[in-house]
Amino acid sequence: MLKALRLHRNEMPYPPPQDVIKAVRKGLSKLNRYADPEELERLRGLLADYSGVSKRHIILSPGSDLLLREIIHTFSRGRRVVMVSPSYFRTVQAAKQFAPRRLRIRLSPPAFDLNSEILMDLLEKPSLVIIDNPNNPTGSMLLDRQAVEAIVERGETLFVIDEAYYEFSGFTLADMVADHPNLAVTRTMDKAFSLAGARVGYTIAGEAFQGALSSFSIFLSRLSLHAAMEALRNRDYVRRNVHRIIEERERLRQALDELGIHVYPSSTNFLLLRAEVPDVARRLRDAGVLVLDVSDQLPPGFIRVSIGTREENDAFLTRYAKVRQSCD
Amino acid sequence: MRKTIGLIVNPVAGMGGSVGLKGTDGETYKKALELGAEPVTPKRARDLLVHIEGKDALTLLVAPGKMGERYVAGFDVPFTVIGEIDEETSAEDTKRIAERMVEHGVELLIFVGGDGTARDVYDAIGIEIPVVGVPAGVKVFSAAFALSARAAAKMVDAFVEGSDVTEEEVLDIDEDAFREDRLASRLYGYLLVPEVRRFLQPGKAASSVSRSSRESKREIAAFVVEEMDPETLYLLGPGTTLKAITDELGFPKTLLGVDAVHARELVGEDLNERDILSLFEKYERRAIIVTPIGGNGFIFGRGSKQFTPDVIRQVGRENVIVVGTRGKVSNLDCLRVDTGDLELDEILSGYLKVTVGYKEGMMMEVRC
Repeated sequence: MLKALRLHRNEMPYPPPQDVIKAVRKGLSKLNRYADPEELERLRGLLADYSGVSKRHIILSPGSDLLLREIIHTFSRGRRVVMVSPSYFRTVQAAKQFAPRRLRIRLSPPAFDLNSEILMDLLEKPSLVIIDNPNNPTGSMLLDRQAVEAIVERGETLFVIDEAYYEFSGFTLADMVADHPNLAVTRTMDKAFSLAGARVGYTIAGEAFQGALSSFSIFLSRLSLHAAMEALRNRDYVRRNVHRIIEERERLRQALDELGIHVYPSSTNFLLLRAEVPDVARRLRDAGVLVLDVSDQLPPGFIRVSIGTREENDAFLTRYAKVRQSCD
Repeated sequence: MRKTIGLIVNPVAGMGGSVGLKGTDGETYKKALELGAEPVTPKRARDLLVHIEGKDALTLLVAPGKMGERYVAGFDVPFTVIGEIDEETSAEDTKRIAERMVEHGVELLIFVGGDGTARDVYDAIGIEIPVVGVPAGVKVFSAAFALSARAAAKMVDAFVEGSDVTEEEVLDIDEDAFREDRLASRLYGYLLVPEVRRFLQPGKAASSVSRSSRESKREIAAFVVEEMDPETLYLLGPGTTLKAITDELGFPKTLLGVDAVHARELVGEDLNERDILSLFEKYERRAIIVTPIGGNGFIFGRGSKQFTPDVIRQVGRENVIVVGTRGKVSNLDCLRVDTGDLELDEILSGYLKVTVGYKEGMMMEVRC
């Protein structure tokens, strides 16, 4: 029986370092207690330092999804929600559930880029704009500083940038929050920090967002808190993680390209593929590879594949080639 | 109570693929044989039957010999053979046997073939009963087909369990143009197919807000009707999404034609260009409502030849309203136009808003 390759959730394939695991163990002895408010404040301070912003901008939550959901719930009344398509599916679902008026801009292959003029044209009415940068699932960068400056100048627009994959792209707009109260940047420690199981998310929020959102920090577990603080104190491993993943991503991309498979450039820890094989996600699952079928947002054949370890990526290539051969 | 299901296999569909031909319409089939092409439909038919889980709930009516009977023998499903065929089969066999099966009371018809076979089935039975299309053609473009034989089996199971049905497009692909690497397809008709909602990946919760295609069309229709200006003449192009709009208004719709609405009243049915232009003499404010053709995204030039360059110019780009379900729109790379007037195609290019739900839009790029 083949071991299933988990390449469907954009997790980091490398576990956190021993220091982080030790910190979690230390937290275990106090599991009868809620997380200390002082420790939550300390985590906010560490995240502010890491992000290069003032601590007053940091809002904590168990996972960044929850805050994105809360932002949509709170701010979509009286505003049209503007997003791109495709986009992170949980944000799409939250918009469908809570936002009465929705408009999306379709990103088209092969470039999957965002026409910022079209976006600007849509902002004549009060809007809540939510854009993932880099985009999930295409992996492409959608925003630059100039476009964001033009958008935040529109006073009636609230603008949220989801930077879940910031560490892989190396590009952030978080520093703009201090001068623009209508801008917020959401981030997560799930990916580059190897902490998907801890679910620590945060928003770097401009003043317009502060105070209006529920406080989710009390839902952070003591163990997650300890893991996050230790990870932020000792973050050399994050740089190593990112370096290894980018190296593997480019190796995999080249190998797929040589096999004649449509694969798109990525600034994240995953690749978007356009497969010729019908029903490809199901066939890969039968071959023991879990990938994300994104055909609910893109034409059939598109799948998102997370970057694994070198061995996992090699196994993916072998199994993909077999699946393709079986369809010839 | 067992469900009675028909099975028709086009034994020559898909044979052109292995020998580099695109399609097996007409004489091309003989050329494929000369080049040593092997039949591909037997495997597809067997794959389908292997994967149907509820076989014990079925009684099959099958076409004779290589058009069906040959593939069901190994499976423990009661079957009856319908009709007769000669050694060389043709489109006429598909049409005749499909009609006979409907007379014999089939509740669902499974056919294995390509776009040509889908057109034959449409010619024979229209949207009288639902069908499941198993793709076996060289290139299968019509949205009425399942993604694979296994997906088709899931659709059969869903039908047996009482799923909803939805209309999907049948395209007329010009095989001669396709052989020259030009994609020349136009809307031919609609078939009813069981609706299988997309299943999400393992580990993901099913969305509580996903809607069926029929519900989506109703939602779009409600919004479009609500937004209708009483002074404007609306020309409704072909398609079932447009039919949902006339359903909302309480009129019939010419499924493959253009109808006109003004002040919520039907003022023209199955109009040609001349009819439309004469309506323009009476109504100064005009709008066209169209839906893209599933799979290729054409809004003008392939499904509605009544919308000539002259008609479109007199309506104006800003008065073109595009509607489409989320499912259909997500399957497209972009919208396309091919009006035959290059200058007009350029004018129509850029971004257009597609209404995909109630107060929900998608900005899509129009390419030409």
